[in-house]
Amino acid sequence: MPLDTSSYALAHLRLDGRRWNELRRLHAQTSTQAAADGSSYLEMGNTKVICTVAGPAESRKGGGGGGNAEAKIEVEIGIAGFSGVERKRRGKGDKRTSEMRHTIASAFSANLFAHLYPHSTITVNLHVLSQDGSLLAACLNATTLALIDAGIPMSDYIVACTAGSTASYASNDEDADPLLDLNGLEEQELPFLTVGTLGAGEKVSVLIMETRMQMTRLEAMLAAGVDGCRQIRSILDGVVRAHGKAVLDSAIS
Amino acid sequence: MAITILAPTPAAPVPTRRLSSEEGDSDLDSDGDISMSRPTKRRRTIITPGEIVTDDPQWMRGHGTFVSGEDTSIRSTLAGTLQKTNKLLSIVPLRARYMPEIGDLVVGRIVEVQSRRWKVDVAAPLLASLPLSSINLPGGILRKRTSVDELNIRTFFSEGDLVVAEVQSIFQDGGASLHTRSLKYGKLRNGYFMAVSGMGGGAGVVRAKRQIFTFQTTRGGEVDVVLGVNGYIWIAKHIEPETAGKDFSITRLEEQASGTMYSSQNDEIEVGTRREISRIAGCIAALVEAGVKVEENMVRRAYEASLDADAEMQEHSGEYLGGAKGRRVVELALGMG
Repeated sequence: MPLDTSSYALAHLRLDGRRWNELRRLHAQTSTQAAADGSSYLEMGNTKVICTVAGPAESRKGGGGGGNAEAKIEVEIGIAGFSGVERKRRGKGDKRTSEMRHTIASAFSANLFAHLYPHSTITVNLHVLSQDGSLLAACLNATTLALIDAGIPMSDYIVACTAGSTASYASNDEDADPLLDLNGLEEQELPFLTVGTLGAGEKVSVLIMETRMQMTRLEAMLAAGVDGCRQIRSILDGVVRAHGKAVLDSAIS
Repeated sequence: MAITILAPTPAAPVPTRRLSSEEGDSDLDSDGDISMSRPTKRRRTIITPGEIVTDDPQWMRGHGTFVSGEDTSIRSTLAGTLQKTNKLLSIVPLRARYMPEIGDLVVGRIVEVQSRRWKVDVAAPLLASLPLSSINLPGGILRKRTSVDELNIRTFFSEGDLVVAEVQSIFQDGGASLHTRSLKYGKLRNGYFMAVSGMGGGAGVVRAKRQIFTFQTTRGGEVDVVLGVNGYIWIAKHIEPETAGKDFSITRLEEQASGTMYSSQNDEIEVGTRREISRIAGCIAALVEAGVKVEENMVRRAYEASLDADAEMQEHSGEYLGGAKGRRVVELALGMG
């Protein structure tokens, strides 16, 4: 349905005027909250996420979990009731929310240099203000920026984006194109996956797909997603550099 | 029908909350320098995580760098600036949690009382520990700690008390061990606690020769300021110790450590002193807000600037130093001296 419009049939333009390989507007700010150790605010189109990081700090159950040789990463996600099209209060024990939390925590556990902070906990708090597709990808990107702002060492950026396929629209297999960065309407109708890469290369660290699709389309979608991640990484890198330059320019030593 | 594609509207500009920088002195850096001198401001570029710092195998890697598996290039793990010390490359982060070093003067809050030591929160990744054997007993008695002392451990420090101490040693996992074996360390009272965060290239408390100093305020008597390197700050009314006027020698420690040193009772603090304490706290908050490093000289200049700013204002707006008045105070403080 999102691709049944005349503009797609004529010019292959999606609902918001993008072509198949164009990202939505990505706006990111880092160090938005002075009180937190690290914080960030990220918008991917209309999906808006705030992230704050606290830590590394001593874990509450110090004696019980004291055997860890590296820091533990805990993720909390709060999805605002006004974030979707209809008002909906989601509890913390929601299955989809816990799966997202687990994905984000395990992606960063593998990437951060957690062995430098034994017996401590890094707490990541995500607040979703507005959802319009690519929620997990936006959360991963916002968490990367906030962890960099907190000064927690990591081997590279983890950047994520979604990629989908026009498969349900085109009955003919050869005509199915991959699509990059789906918005909310497209996510409801088309099959899509979220791919997260480590840096600008081709190392995939997160790959989640919940819809069903033919195997043959997977490679094209993955290639489009990895390419989108490369673009996102350069945008986020620019944001970090601009912020760092502003800090250094104004610091009086 | 022709389709026109409009360019997306740009995002709102980020409001800059920092002052414009002045042309301060910049140290010149020479490669191969042994001391930790920073490079000139113009040449400092930001390095981001995952970026290759160098390919040259002659460099050794220090803090904030790692060697990726495939090639021998050194990559950064932090966002920060590069620091070269002889052949060692390390990255100084823009902002990082306080990491304790031996000899740091820190202000901490007791969070746990264990059988023979206390656990202290010093804004570090791990709680610091203060062993019972590292504190001065009241009355200045020098003796071995017995089980009676362990049973009375809460009479010395209890949960929630504030203590100023020095880092004696660091454990393997990075946790600090503190001691208060000097008359200038110990329990804090009669004052106001504030926490400033942020270290590294940005604002924060710097390690300096004097972390504890005294103000002679105009209307409030004397005020002590303790700047903990970990970002915790204590501003208190100055109470003259009983040892003032007598000479201080190590053999008379037992006579000079007072019996009330572990009392949790505050003394009477006059209104004028309270106003001056809140004025100094406002100065420090304004300095941190503007990204200026907090140390004794800057705090003194900011205090005098706040008095000047008060004289400038037509109406007496009290001691509140936030917002526009705070920025004005920092401008004046940077301008003088």
